[in-house]
Amino acid sequence: MSVLEGAIIYSNLLVLLAVGLTLTYITTAVPNFAQGSFAVFGSYIALTLLRLFNIHPYYSIPLVFVMGGLLGVAIYMGVLKPLISRGAEVVILMIATLAVDLILLGLLGSYSDYLGVITKKSAKKFILTPYDFEVAGTTGIFFVSILTIVVILGGLYLLLFKTKFGVAMRASMENPDLAEIMGVNVEITRLTSWILSGALASVAGVLLPFRQEIVPMTGGIIIVSIFASSIVGGLSSIFGALLGGYIVGMSESFVTFYLSKIFGPSVLVYSRVVSLIVLIVTLILAPRGITSIKWRRIKWLKNFFS
Amino acid sequence: MAQEFLLLNIVIWVGLYLIVALSLNIEYGYGGIPNFGRALAVLIGAIAVGGIVNRILMVIFGISGQIIDASGVVKTTLNDIIAQNPIYGIGLFLFCLIVAGIVGAITGAIFILPSAKLSEDYLAITLLAISEVAFMVSYYHPDIIGGYYGVTFPNVFNFVPGEVRLSVFAGVIILIAFFVYLFVNRVLTSPYGRLLKAMRENEDVVSAYGKNIMMLRIKTVALGSGIAALAGALYSMFSVNVIATNFSRVEWTFYPILMILLGGLGNTRGVFLGVTSFVVARILLITYKFEIVEILSLPFDPVWLEYILFGFVMLIILIYRPEGILKEKPVFTPPIKKVIKKRKVGSE
Repeated sequence: MSVLEGAIIYSNLLVLLAVGLTLTYITTAVPNFAQGSFAVFGSYIALTLLRLFNIHPYYSIPLVFVMGGLLGVAIYMGVLKPLISRGAEVVILMIATLAVDLILLGLLGSYSDYLGVITKKSAKKFILTPYDFEVAGTTGIFFVSILTIVVILGGLYLLLFKTKFGVAMRASMENPDLAEIMGVNVEITRLTSWILSGALASVAGVLLPFRQEIVPMTGGIIIVSIFASSIVGGLSSIFGALLGGYIVGMSESFVTFYLSKIFGPSVLVYSRVVSLIVLIVTLILAPRGITSIKWRRIKWLKNFFS
Repeated sequence: MAQEFLLLNIVIWVGLYLIVALSLNIEYGYGGIPNFGRALAVLIGAIAVGGIVNRILMVIFGISGQIIDASGVVKTTLNDIIAQNPIYGIGLFLFCLIVAGIVGAITGAIFILPSAKLSEDYLAITLLAISEVAFMVSYYHPDIIGGYYGVTFPNVFNFVPGEVRLSVFAGVIILIAFFVYLFVNRVLTSPYGRLLKAMRENEDVVSAYGKNIMMLRIKTVALGSGIAALAGALYSMFSVNVIATNFSRVEWTFYPILMILLGGLGNTRGVFLGVTSFVVARILLITYKFEIVEILSLPFDPVWLEYILFGFVMLIILIYRPEGILKEKPVFTPPIKKVIKKRKVGSE
């Protein structure tokens, strides 16, 4: 797998995760700290289907999409909706998603032990690359991840911009109070965003084991990159998530790759440091993300130096 | 014997977590700064002991080499000296605490700088990300605190016989936690504490009164991080080895948040209640985990059970009792009490 190929695959997966995060942030105004664990949830469903029913992970994507959506529903209805209806502040909602992350980690961890017991093959950590196919010297995951991104983003575009429901949804993202007065059911748009977020993250989770090893803890590790992608692009723009995913994915892969050429392979484990630096630089220069910059009059530059 | 061990364990963890929870209560409970990176300050305390003090000792005793091996030599050399000369041990202990407090405060002050331009949610994400990355780097990089292998540290109370070591540590930790409690209580009942509450409620009003919000934040987080670093240092000296995996986000960020929410935000007595009830529950769970697994015949490692359980406890508190066990009470300063008295007299 060449560096560019790996970087594109990784960026595609980050885009899937960051789009989900951004969607729920726009509708519910809470950064979801459990997004990484949503992905691992998808990975374990794919692993279960593979080990128990011998279904190839690529074919399990539709089912995982549905299951991820159900997870999104469960978390919105079970945790966030009751809190929002009690008027909880943003920080409280964030703590709630941290708790959800911990519960998911516990459930995934215990499930991995259980799966190991019933299949008599450890599921504590796994990688799916041996199940991948190859086309003209390029790994299958490269094409599958691009295809997934195109299909999902295309579908999202059609949903948001070409249907009445999408108009209502965008309206309630822009101004929930006004949308509610105009007869839009804000509750349904919020629920939809959580369904989509869970589904997209879980699909990313099916593809992730084709690139790196998965352990129940993976969600907590990858979360830094997901947040970096969303924030770099601008937490309130779906297009920004696409851009941010690529910026973070590319810089993580390439910066660590070139640094490892200079300092040796021990640098490779520090790829998260690159995301953190990208995140902090963005926050200092353009706190609302790249899509918020008005390139015509670069006011922020003046603000920054004054 | 087993029961005594259990009790001492509870005392030690109440002490450690009380320090961390109090520090978080200053920042989040009073100041309203959502510090989702508390684990970083605790880790810094451990680095101060395992990375900095260890290196100073290496220079003093002329030991060279990699920190992982050299710390072993430092340990054996120092253990002998401390066994004969208790004063060295106590001196080293105090020195570690001072270094940890200072380094923790400096890191805290730098750590909060991004908050100048960020709203709460962005700030929380950034702090969590910084803390998570620091955790990862100190785990992977062998030159900080030995990375994957960790480093050892001398037993600062090597002069007491082995069988009472645990009791001595428990006593010292709870004593320091008590001092921290008194100190924090004193600080928070001063005008500074009320200023923090004002900042939590409305930053614009505070800056309209001529207070510099940013300076106030830097001071607060420096104070909080300095205190939290003490816990990291104490824990490292107690376990006589320092390894990054002991300072995970769950244990030192999530659990402290859980404890202060359980006890009641912005309320020092509540923090104590929250810490005690949490630690008792957790230690019992850890001690009897194998029995629990057997009785329920669970097909998995009991550590996951702890995560699931405390995750749900957090959600239940947030949904059903967001104010915690003890509610925050309004502050009655002497001038306010006087006014109340006058009104009472006037109305009679």
